[in-house]
Amino acid sequence: MVNAIFIIATGLGTAFLLGLLKDEWRTAAYGITLAALALMSWIAASWVAALAWGGAATVDIFTAGTEPPFAINLRMGLPEAVLTLLVNLASLLAAVYLRDTMFKQGRRAMAVLLIFAMALCGIILTRDLFNLFVFFELTVISTGGLILLSRDKRALGAGFKYLIASQVISILLLVGIIFSYHATGTLNIDGMASMSAQLLQGGSLAFFLMFIAIVAELKPFPANGWALDIYESAHPAFSAMLSAAAGSAALFAVDKLLLIGGTQWLPVATAIGIVSFIGANLFALAQNVDRRTLGYSSIAQIGLVLTVLGQRDILGDSYLYIAGGILLAHAISKAGLYWLSGLVEGRELTAWTALRGRPLLIFAFVTFLALLIGLPPFPGFYAKWDLIHTLAAQDRIMLLTLILFGALIEAGYLFRWFGYVIKREQTTERVACTPHKVAVVYGAVIAGWTAAYLWGNLSPHGNLLHTLPLLFALGFLLLEWLPVWIKNTIAIIGLVAWFILGFPDYDPLQLIFAAVILIGGALILLSSYHVQGRRIGFYPSAMLMYAGLAMLITADDSFSFFAAWESLTVGSYFLILRGKHSEPHALSYIIFSLGGAFLILAGFALASQGVMDFQLQALGQVTEPLSAWVFMLLAIGFMTKTAAIGVHIWLPGAHAEAETDVSPMVSGILLKAGLFGLFMLLMNMGKQQLYGIELTHVMLWIGALSALLGNLMAIFQEDAKRLLAYSSIGQMGYALFGLAMMNHLGWLMALMFVINHYIYKSMLFLSVGGIAKRTGTREMYRMGGLITLMPLSFIAVLIGIIAVSGVPPLSGFGGRWIFYNAIMTADHRLPMIIIFLAGPIAFLYLFRLIHTIFLGQLKDEHRRLKEAPFWLILPQMIYVACLLIFAVVPGMALRHVDSYLNQFFPNHGLNWEGLTITSSFGYWSPISIMLVIGTIFATVLAWLLFVNRKAQKVKQFNMVFAAERPYRPETTHYAWNFFAPYRKALGFLTQPLVTRFWEALTDLLHSLAELLRRFYCGNGQTYAIHLLGFVVVVYLLKVGL
Amino acid sequence: MSYIAMTTGFILILIGFYGALTNRNILRMIIAFTVANTGVNLVLVAVGYMRGRTAPILDAAVPVTEAAARIIDPIPQALVLTAIVIGVGVTALMLAFVYKLYATRGSLDISNYTELKW
Repeated sequence: MVNAIFIIATGLGTAFLLGLLKDEWRTAAYGITLAALALMSWIAASWVAALAWGGAATVDIFTAGTEPPFAINLRMGLPEAVLTLLVNLASLLAAVYLRDTMFKQGRRAMAVLLIFAMALCGIILTRDLFNLFVFFELTVISTGGLILLSRDKRALGAGFKYLIASQVISILLLVGIIFSYHATGTLNIDGMASMSAQLLQGGSLAFFLMFIAIVAELKPFPANGWALDIYESAHPAFSAMLSAAAGSAALFAVDKLLLIGGTQWLPVATAIGIVSFIGANLFALAQNVDRRTLGYSSIAQIGLVLTVLGQRDILGDSYLYIAGGILLAHAISKAGLYWLSGLVEGRELTAWTALRGRPLLIFAFVTFLALLIGLPPFPGFYAKWDLIHTLAAQDRIMLLTLILFGALIEAGYLFRWFGYVIKREQTTERVACTPHKVAVVYGAVIAGWTAAYLWGNLSPHGNLLHTLPLLFALGFLLLEWLPVWIKNTIAIIGLVAWFILGFPDYDPLQLIFAAVILIGGALILLSSYHVQGRRIGFYPSAMLMYAGLAMLITADDSFSFFAAWESLTVGSYFLILRGKHSEPHALSYIIFSLGGAFLILAGFALASQGVMDFQLQALGQVTEPLSAWVFMLLAIGFMTKTAAIGVHIWLPGAHAEAETDVSPMVSGILLKAGLFGLFMLLMNMGKQQLYGIELTHVMLWIGALSALLGNLMAIFQEDAKRLLAYSSIGQMGYALFGLAMMNHLGWLMALMFVINHYIYKSMLFLSVGGIAKRTGTREMYRMGGLITLMPLSFIAVLIGIIAVSGVPPLSGFGGRWIFYNAIMTADHRLPMIIIFLAGPIAFLYLFRLIHTIFLGQLKDEHRRLKEAPFWLILPQMIYVACLLIFAVVPGMALRHVDSYLNQFFPNHGLNWEGLTITSSFGYWSPISIMLVIGTIFATVLAWLLFVNRKAQKVKQFNMVFAAERPYRPETTHYAWNFFAPYRKALGFLTQPLVTRFWEALTDLLHSLAELLRRFYCGNGQTYAIHLLGFVVVVYLLKVGL
Repeated sequence: MSYIAMTTGFILILIGFYGALTNRNILRMIIAFTVANTGVNLVLVAVGYMRGRTAPILDAAVPVTEAAARIIDPIPQALVLTAIVIGVGVTALMLAFVYKLYATRGSLDISNYTELKW
């Protein structure tokens, strides 16, 4: 093994060597620089290999032939090795990235870069305090030099502000070091740590000065105006190093100091860290400059790691795993994003639209965002899971809440940025695609996925990258060059095959959900054959969602459940974002979903109480009063997915604006994830009480109100897809109501809704989507009279609305029948009345669908319309067949579930003997109903045909129009504002109060950020005052505490 | 004696901070920081000082065997040397920045360099 001191020696020696070269020998100098950095990386990498896998032990390196405290010693352990590797690789890649700048600036710039890398390695390796100071000063000087590499003139001012701040820091650090030395007689960190009691008693101010100086190097919020200016104006390659490498090194220095400070200083680190995390994320909300946003995000992430360092006392063995996971994810993603920013010409966030049309760069961007947010399968995800669980087990609930809140804000502005990139109008500027820069970006992508794999392997919960469904979804990334029909076929085969594979192991409940998700998903995918071309990005996203769903229903432990939940959330977000106008809706979807996911995470964490391998069944063993809180967190989390009233505002836009074949996926299938979660929750936890309030009773109310208000809002929509979307809120309300009844029939009805809602909502979305495709509009009053032109779509919608409305003979009636039986046995009358009321309202909007689209006058411009494309019609016809079959023999699916439900509610089951179904209140005979209705229908139809046989046909334009032309023609259309009288009567119920509430909340956050960020006035002197003020405030708080 | 040096050192540090935070002229700020740095160096030396002892130079006057009893603590001395060198480096860098700042914008007023903010 090469001695680690050669990392420093190589950097330093080569920097001096460069000074001896002739200034013209730029290629040689550049080659030497790269070689030196490669050598330093290799040494670090070999140590990583030896320490992690080779069984080598941590090594102390003594200099000057003596042991500490008489000489400086360095240490190479696993964290040091990983961090030096990170620093050197980042510097190597930065050197490659900076090729042109380096050639222009010559060997001096290269020498400074080498010194920078060497000094950071020194900070990491050294165990001597004064040596630490020296390396920090070297970093300052080289930073001062490297800032000047930027073409941005403002960098000069930023560099000077930085130097002012670092002067203050170095004075504090020196004074702190000398008095700590005075108190302990040693400069060795470990020596001082062993005497820490003595130091902290007599020289606590000395330690404080040292500590706060090093913490100030982390650029903590709010004493960091100078750092933000550098992030914004420096060369992106340097900002990348500053954020990734220098940030990591400084964090490690804080970690060393905390060895001396011991447990009593951990809360200080925690407090500074969490304030940074939340403050910087909040301020980032108001940013629209890319590099400054990234700067804020860097500060936030480093703050988060600092918070983790402060939790050292409770993290135990997983300390390095958690802190390292978050740190590594931050470093790789931030470096990658800065490098990416160098390819983009404009500096606004929206300028990144230039990346569009370069799928690989978009993939890189997504990878970095996912790394940063901590989505599966990246290291941050595993780390956050363990962190939140430990915090919950140790009752640090406040901190847990703050971390999740900050993470949500961060996800908010990062996903908003992603939405801009995908959806905003593309700038005319192209991406500057110099091959070596692009290669560096891809290098970071590879590093990110490697880290994901490694962290998965280290995780006790198993590697997500070993799960077949996820791999299948990710595999589509490699198939993106294929045409749609091949990919679609592979996807369908994949879904069906996974169903067949899992079939023997599903219990009846899982089987129903699996059939809806996998077989149902395959059916909807049939409609995707109508798309031509390659449809880049669609299949990885869709398959990620299906993978998540498939894993969700078979998950046994909370970790795999949550990982599946996040996968399906992210996949569906990408899917929804594909719609033409869906940018704001996709954003609100992902924010609500992640908010819900965080609640679920918190719920699981509270429930597990430190047990890392927590089985879902164990939810039932959680004791009072904790169990009620767990229940509430999980229930709200799941209800954000079913769009229960209050957290429903994301749904209408997200479902309506999605692509034609995506709407049925996210409506018919995705909503069921929330229902499955609720099933799982209620099955394991049953009824819970919080302060004497029955929580399932609250759910009953939420369900009833969702049904009523969802339906009510649906009737006032002009847009057909929005109407269907609102109707989903109502339908999910029914299902929620059924579940919350906590009796046999209620659950059976909820399951019936799972199947029914999937079939008719998918069908209706497909037919309406097909019609919208042909007519070019989704507004119903612009359609009309399409019955003869699109007969198959008409049949689908007709059958669909019969099924939804719950009139005989179709399966919707079965749902209603079970439902009425169920509420006969329930105790709560008032919510029951509300849900009764919701029923007739559904008729109103359903009537509108058939009446306004298909009946009435044909619009002139629609005269030549054709039936919807074959591939959209085919699944609809299959659904029609399904509905008819399911209507005649509902027992096929339901009787198994019915008997399965017996283990939870032994009483009040149904009797499935013969062809009739009997409950304690009556019976239902699907076949006779079908026959009776069929006969009546046929008779009436025949009679009508008979009496109208001589009627004269009148053409549409066989009449005279008045010569008036109104200002807004649609206002005179009879189908516009169709239910105006009802609106007058009930419209107050559909006031967008909830929307206004959430809007006010986000506005508040934004204006807060907009107002407070003026604190960073840009004056270097004021920043120095901030810094000193920060030091004083922290000291006073620490003393005061 | 060492208390006088230490007090002077701290006073110099405070003067330096005061100067750096109240003068808007960049050059004056730099000078203020060098004053503060000098104060720090003084504090460093004062911490290592022991009454009645001699400089930590091992030669004929101080044989190795008696060194431990006769010399002052050599470590702060070594530290101060390093700190001075680093201080010079940083000051030089700051001056270079000022030179370039003045060359581009023609102003030495720190409050004129606030184009990056918020």
